[in-house]
Amino acid sequence: MAEIAGDETPPLPSSSGAEESSLLSSPPSPTAISGDEPPPRTRKPGTKRLVLTASVLLSFLVGLPLLLKSTEIHRSPLPSDAIADLSRRLQSHPPSFPCGLHAVFLRSGPGSPVASLADQLERAISTQHHLLPASSTAGNISVSVTIQSGGGCTSSTAAASPWRCGLLTAADSVRDDEVFDELLHSALGGRDGDGMKVYTIVIAEDDDGKGTRVVIGKHRHAWVVGKVDEAEALSLIGNVFIKYFMNGGIEEGETGIGKGEFMPVGSDGNVVLSFSLLNADPNDWVYDWEFKNIGERILTPVVEALRPVADINIESQVLYHTPKSSYSYSDDKLGGNVLSMGDIPFFVNSNEWHLDTSISATGRSKVLQFVVYIPSARECPLYLQLPDGELSKTNAFISPMWGGVVIWNPPGCSVGSKKAHGTRRQMSSQELMETLEIFIGQLRQLFGLKPNYHAQGMDVATKFLVSEKGFAQWELDLLYRHHACSNLLSCVATLESLSSLVQSLPRMIVMDEIGRQVELSLEAASLAQRNATLGIGDSSAVSATRARALAEDAFFHPSIMSISYASVEHYFAIYMV
Amino acid sequence: AAAEEFTEELLLRPLPDRKALAHFHFRSSAPPASAAGRHHHLFPKAISQLVQKFHISELELSFTQGRWNYEQWGGYDPMSTNNAKPPGVELWAIFDLPLAEIDATWKNLTHTLSGLFCASINFLESSTAFSAPRWGFKLNEGNLRYGALPREAVCTENLTPWLKLLPCRDKAGIASLLYRPSVYKGYYHSQKLKLKSSQSLGIILDQTLTVVLQPNTVSGKQLHSTGGQLQPSWSMEHLFSKKLSGKCLVSKSSRVFVEIEKGIVDNVDKAGSDVSSNNDLFVLSTAPDRSLKELDNLEVQSSSLYEYDVNNYNSDKPLNVGITWKLPLIWSCTRAPYHASRFLMGSGNERGSIAMSFLSTGLDKQLVDSSNDCSIKAVVFQVVPWYVKVYYHSLEVFIDGNSKAISEVVDKIHVTPSEDKLLPGTMEMLLKFPCSMQLATLTLDFDKGFLHIDEYPPDANQGFDIPSALVSFPEFNSSRSYPEADPLFVSPLLENFKEDGVVKSYTEVLLVPLTTPDFSMPYNVITFTCTVLALYFGSLLNALRRRIGEEERGLKKAADKRGLIPLLIAKLRGQKVDPSESESTSPASLPRSKLLLKVVFVAVVAIVFHYLSNS
Repeated sequence: MAEIAGDETPPLPSSSGAEESSLLSSPPSPTAISGDEPPPRTRKPGTKRLVLTASVLLSFLVGLPLLLKSTEIHRSPLPSDAIADLSRRLQSHPPSFPCGLHAVFLRSGPGSPVASLADQLERAISTQHHLLPASSTAGNISVSVTIQSGGGCTSSTAAASPWRCGLLTAADSVRDDEVFDELLHSALGGRDGDGMKVYTIVIAEDDDGKGTRVVIGKHRHAWVVGKVDEAEALSLIGNVFIKYFMNGGIEEGETGIGKGEFMPVGSDGNVVLSFSLLNADPNDWVYDWEFKNIGERILTPVVEALRPVADINIESQVLYHTPKSSYSYSDDKLGGNVLSMGDIPFFVNSNEWHLDTSISATGRSKVLQFVVYIPSARECPLYLQLPDGELSKTNAFISPMWGGVVIWNPPGCSVGSKKAHGTRRQMSSQELMETLEIFIGQLRQLFGLKPNYHAQGMDVATKFLVSEKGFAQWELDLLYRHHACSNLLSCVATLESLSSLVQSLPRMIVMDEIGRQVELSLEAASLAQRNATLGIGDSSAVSATRARALAEDAFFHPSIMSISYASVEHYFAIYMV
Repeated sequence: AAAEEFTEELLLRPLPDRKALAHFHFRSSAPPASAAGRHHHLFPKAISQLVQKFHISELELSFTQGRWNYEQWGGYDPMSTNNAKPPGVELWAIFDLPLAEIDATWKNLTHTLSGLFCASINFLESSTAFSAPRWGFKLNEGNLRYGALPREAVCTENLTPWLKLLPCRDKAGIASLLYRPSVYKGYYHSQKLKLKSSQSLGIILDQTLTVVLQPNTVSGKQLHSTGGQLQPSWSMEHLFSKKLSGKCLVSKSSRVFVEIEKGIVDNVDKAGSDVSSNNDLFVLSTAPDRSLKELDNLEVQSSSLYEYDVNNYNSDKPLNVGITWKLPLIWSCTRAPYHASRFLMGSGNERGSIAMSFLSTGLDKQLVDSSNDCSIKAVVFQVVPWYVKVYYHSLEVFIDGNSKAISEVVDKIHVTPSEDKLLPGTMEMLLKFPCSMQLATLTLDFDKGFLHIDEYPPDANQGFDIPSALVSFPEFNSSRSYPEADPLFVSPLLENFKEDGVVKSYTEVLLVPLTTPDFSMPYNVITFTCTVLALYFGSLLNALRRRIGEEERGLKKAADKRGLIPLLIAKLRGQKVDPSESESTSPASLPRSKLLLKVVFVAVVAIVFHYLSNS
């Protein structure tokens, strides 16, 4: 400042002043004028000024880290390496569940079977594995063969077979299928054990002239009865194993499990099955049902069976004044009102059907609605017409990810039937059970299985035993495998997007809780993977569900939602200006 | 086991100011069952799940539009004590939970209810919005929470979810009368949901809707010509533009009542006529199925009730209850012992005071002999938001204009002072007024607080609402019983009338104007700060960079240069030409190249930055 002050000069005489002075002819030479002031600067600015400028700059530079420190935000470190690693692992080695195929040949003839024959058959079956489609979740398949004849058993060298030799003979196969199924189950050790799943196919030689037939049991086995030669038996074994045990009977090109269909399970692993009885017009008749006892009794085994996949709650209610919102037309030939397939999308009347989401279905759980629709007297009986003109056998339809509808025509309703004004009746337990069976079929379909099987593609008569659980053991295995796979993939996808989101927004606060959830999710995912390599489908499904739930929790953490809009520009605008 | 039941009832009552009151009452009950919350036939599943999830033992939620006129419509009957509610939303609940968990459960409950009823009940979640009164509102063990939103607008989006809880909704039965335009055109509209749950009784859900309507009669013009003396004759069709064509089929009972107040009954008695459905003063358009008479403790008939069973009516023969007046009639409703009202005093944005006045209605004269030591008790309960900082020590009491010592009037007081942004102030006070008193006034001073800029509601200049205070008179009971010989006759509506009903009245909502900031303030601050910073840095840089002395010299030189005449004169006089003139041209090319360099440098930096930030 001193220098600046030194530069200060009294106001210079103006040019007119100079003129004046020259006019006055006093000789003030230009050198004299400049002599009053310091000479014009010829050297660079002095160190004083430089120091001053530098100190201002320095103090700013010293303050900058402090400022940055003060604007620092808390970011819990996310294990992005571990996430990337998991995703790489899943991409290169999709989870595959090793399982076993055990073929048992029941020979009726006497004599001890030759051990080498078993090995030979084993090799023959093993060569068929290339038929396995790539999309299948099955991994390594270990094949073993047992041959039992009058003289005893011979097993191939591969595995210790659980087969209890001699407990069952080919003659038993003529018995009732249900009985034989249980016998077979006990002959195979009698329990749906843990660990690697072994599927057994029994070839029972029986020459009763009825021809060959295949029965697929409730557990992990099937049997072939009839006179089959070796080559035919081998192809049957391969067919049954791959087509049903591995793929659930879903053909290429069909929608179903593992074919891009989502499972109707909430991301926290909860499902609420909400059953509603809709009285379209209570002025005609009012029906009530005894769902509490019958429904619970029938559905509890299903709920138990699906527990590794989803935690299922069951609710029911009765609603009144709930007309459908599509039109049906009367068809005299069929003796009722007919609803064509094209009108089904408009059937569910969301204005009047206050089905409601359940309060117990919190967060991200899923509600599946199952609706029994009782038509009013005017539209009764109401039938669903298939596109080929036939009437639907079940009179029901599903809506994927939403649920299913069954149209139930009350007994004694026909075109022009009198209004039973306001009578209150009970749906009989027999009818309720039939309706529930349709619902179980719909549930199977919603989960991607076939509602029932037709023996298409098999050149021999095939029969399927129906489990009271609604799902046979081998179908459940299939569900668990697919559920574990799809959940693992979706968990990894969620974690990856979370990690890339966090990386793309450097100003986002990441709470510790999110970091913890991500770690737990990764842990659960690797546990699911480990279980998968051991072939334990159900616990793998449980861990995968947990991994996905945690990943979703982390991704949808409320703190993320609030801060994800703060950009770097915003940061500069707030702190730098 | 008992089954789930549903009953529907409607009570109609002519009011002295030519209006009519309609009170809808729906009761759904679920017996205690293990499957509660999961399997239901008539009872709404959502409510049952709500009770299960939040362990509610009692809950009441009311949506009200308009204010109950205690002077005209009565203040001493079950209708006003139970169904007159403060404007907006009022919610209270008693939880069956350990005390530590109640606040968290309340918060979840408000969110659930807000979703169920399409209302902003979730604003009651914040701890500044609810309070835990101990005895001023309802005697409890600390497990009651109370909250009110006085400004909530109530309309049909709240009615629809409420109707969804009824098995027939508004498709059939008494609820089908709820024609929205006529219901919302009314003077008062209060929809209420009351839940009671216990292990032994299961869940009882009472849904009531109380509306005060102006009958839409054709002879409306004629009324004006007679100066409003004559009561309008009305029927259901006039009130709701609809007739009742049958009951909801799943309801156990479906009834319509017409209640005739004591004031009319006395008039009928005076006229020497019997109080039947057709007497000297009025006639009911349809003959009732049954008539009931209320007997009070003095065994004097006070009001009467006519019952219609909707079961007997259908779409071919709809029910259209109405009343036709034969003679002009003036009567008044019974009123509460004191008319309580609350108002603000003071001006300005800094402080003010709340005053509450109790004006005797003269009822006590009839009831109690005015001996000197007689007194009437009144309980006041009021919740004040934290930004109205009430100084409770400044409580002053005036009786008939004379200041009284607080200990003379206040028997018991319980105050929870407000905490900034944490707790609202709650005051429960038991007052004892002498019977001879005409007017009592209580005043409380308060300071107005400041809110953070983002705490203001969208329309801050409108002012802030202080929820209604509740005044109850514990010595007066408004319950009304209609004794009935038939034991099979069960009416939940009349049961509610019979229940203990301490006379209550809500005061007005207060509107407090608070200092509102200029909401563009943050932007002004930013602009101002930026200006100051720019000035500071600008002058600092100037001071460091510029050398004023040299600049001035440069200026002078320029002036010298331009001064051609002095130069010429100087030349003529043979003086030396300023040597700086030739110098000045040579450095001109140097700055130009420097400038070019600078521009290039800036461009390179910009390109590099762009490249780096994009990669």
